[in-house]
Amino acid sequence: MSSIAAVRRPRSRFFKFSKVEPYFFIAPFLILLLLFNFYTIYVGIKMGFTDAQGINFGEWIGVENYRHLLSGENPDFWPAIGRSFLFMFGGLVTQMPIAFILACILNSTVFGKIRGILRAAFYVPVLINTVVASLVFRMLFNKDTGLINWVLANFGMAKIDWLFTPQLCIPLMILVSFWQWTGFHMVYLLASIQAIDPTIYEVAKLDGASPLRTMFQITLPLIRPALMFVLITSAIGGMRQFEYSFMLFPNAGYGPGMKALTAVPFIYFYGFSNNFELGLATAAGWILFLIILIFVLIQIFTIGLGQSEEY
Amino acid sequence: MLSSMHTSLEKKMDAALLNKKSRFHRKTLQYIGMVIFGLIAFIYLTPLLWLFDVSFRPRIEIFQVPPKILQAAPWVTFRSYSFASFKLALQKYQVGQGFLNSVFVTACGVIVTLLVCSLAAYAFAFLKFRGRDIIFMFILSTMMLPMDTLLAPMYRVLRTLGLFNKHLGLILLYGASAFGVFLIRQFYVRLPISLIEAAVMDGANKLRIWWQIILPISKPALSALAIYQFRLIWNDFLIPMIVLRNRTLHTLPIKLQVMDSITIAKDYDAMMATGFLAVFVPIVFFLIYQRQFMEGLSGSVKG
Repeated sequence: MSSIAAVRRPRSRFFKFSKVEPYFFIAPFLILLLLFNFYTIYVGIKMGFTDAQGINFGEWIGVENYRHLLSGENPDFWPAIGRSFLFMFGGLVTQMPIAFILACILNSTVFGKIRGILRAAFYVPVLINTVVASLVFRMLFNKDTGLINWVLANFGMAKIDWLFTPQLCIPLMILVSFWQWTGFHMVYLLASIQAIDPTIYEVAKLDGASPLRTMFQITLPLIRPALMFVLITSAIGGMRQFEYSFMLFPNAGYGPGMKALTAVPFIYFYGFSNNFELGLATAAGWILFLIILIFVLIQIFTIGLGQSEEY
Repeated sequence: MLSSMHTSLEKKMDAALLNKKSRFHRKTLQYIGMVIFGLIAFIYLTPLLWLFDVSFRPRIEIFQVPPKILQAAPWVTFRSYSFASFKLALQKYQVGQGFLNSVFVTACGVIVTLLVCSLAAYAFAFLKFRGRDIIFMFILSTMMLPMDTLLAPMYRVLRTLGLFNKHLGLILLYGASAFGVFLIRQFYVRLPISLIEAAVMDGANKLRIWWQIILPISKPALSALAIYQFRLIWNDFLIPMIVLRNRTLHTLPIKLQVMDSITIAKDYDAMMATGFLAVFVPIVFFLIYQRQFMEGLSGSVKG
């Protein structure tokens, strides 16, 4: 926070106090921000208390939407929030350790020149459109024609009906997310590992520290800020995810028995595809907004404001 | 320079310290490590390579297991490659238009973001005016709000403003990036002010100074923001799906979703071709600007 508050004082003639021009310079941005953030929030607060549907503005119904959602009267809401948390935690516990270990291994001098190529290869999946990634994985996970069951069959395993087993919905989404993001986290962590002073490692080597001990007692504490950043931003990203839930399973049905319906897909489903209940979707949006805001506040207090929103 | 000296010194020391046998071990270890990691990287990229392969194949070959490419020597199976899937996508689903829409929205979105954000950042970093710090803090406070949870109000606002079902609505929405203002202002604040003062001509107005002096030297910050926005806008799905109703306005991911929503006899070959186009562009950009992509990444570590 301190770096933001500390504004340098320009001294010259040119940079002296100006009356109107600066306002013209910030106006275009400020207008967009007022419209798409503040006006949207204002409209949203009102909409949450109405039964707006589609293009109808609806009637004021007080806290009915919130009561309906929070009381559990809506059968999908709490399960959707729960699945979002499950997806988020699943993503963290699978991606973080593997990304860290891969980064440590790739940091070793063994790789030399091909490190750059490997780094690029692991970075690529994050560039891929999540819609395309979901679609590709849907085809790879197909029971009869998918590559994955074919590979498993070569190891003598029975065919698994990945896409139609309710218990596998969230694990599959975690898996695709793992594929897209682990490499990216790895590249990020590798960059901060490479910024560590190499003499620290030399001293550790002289003291006879094993590579494993060096990894956990030197590297890990030293890249803690980067680790925290990746952890919290991917938690926020996990809570916001939409495409895997919507596109990974056939017929945009959010998985068998809608068991892949997470929070943002809930908002889309109720607000834009089921009955166009925009009031209800707004209320659900506010609840999710507050949940994510807690993560954002944790991020601001642990690593400071201004790290990019979602990379 | 220094690092190369360091490594050559290291090599000499290695040579002096290690006898032939352990050097041999080191080399083998190196090769084994490379092979294992190369293999992991290859397996990691298999889904992508599979997409690249099948997008050029006829529909019946997409669903073959083992995959067609493994059924014979690869060059033999390449004989069934064709652009038929792309042709189908272009003719039946107007994917060419989808591609142009994606390019248009992304290009305009990036340009609008860069102009609007750098102009505002210029005022916040270099000019003094009443309420500057308060307004800036106010902008910062919006930076991390999860606005995409407020889909329904956003839809309502776009309708009210007459921006619904228009590319302009999307472009302006992407332009309101508080993160962009923050990123560029941080860069400006670190510039040595004397450098700029030396370049300022007498009598030039402030807008001209921004355009002729500040913009050209802020290339690193602008390219970092451009890459960030490019990846975000090109791949965005949920908001365009809500905002763009007309088929003629759809971007590539929406085209793909529309093709997928056909329940009987989907044109999987055309879908794979569309997927290829959607994936191909960011990868090409990444291969060209790899350094900037990765630097943008490590730059944000230092913050």
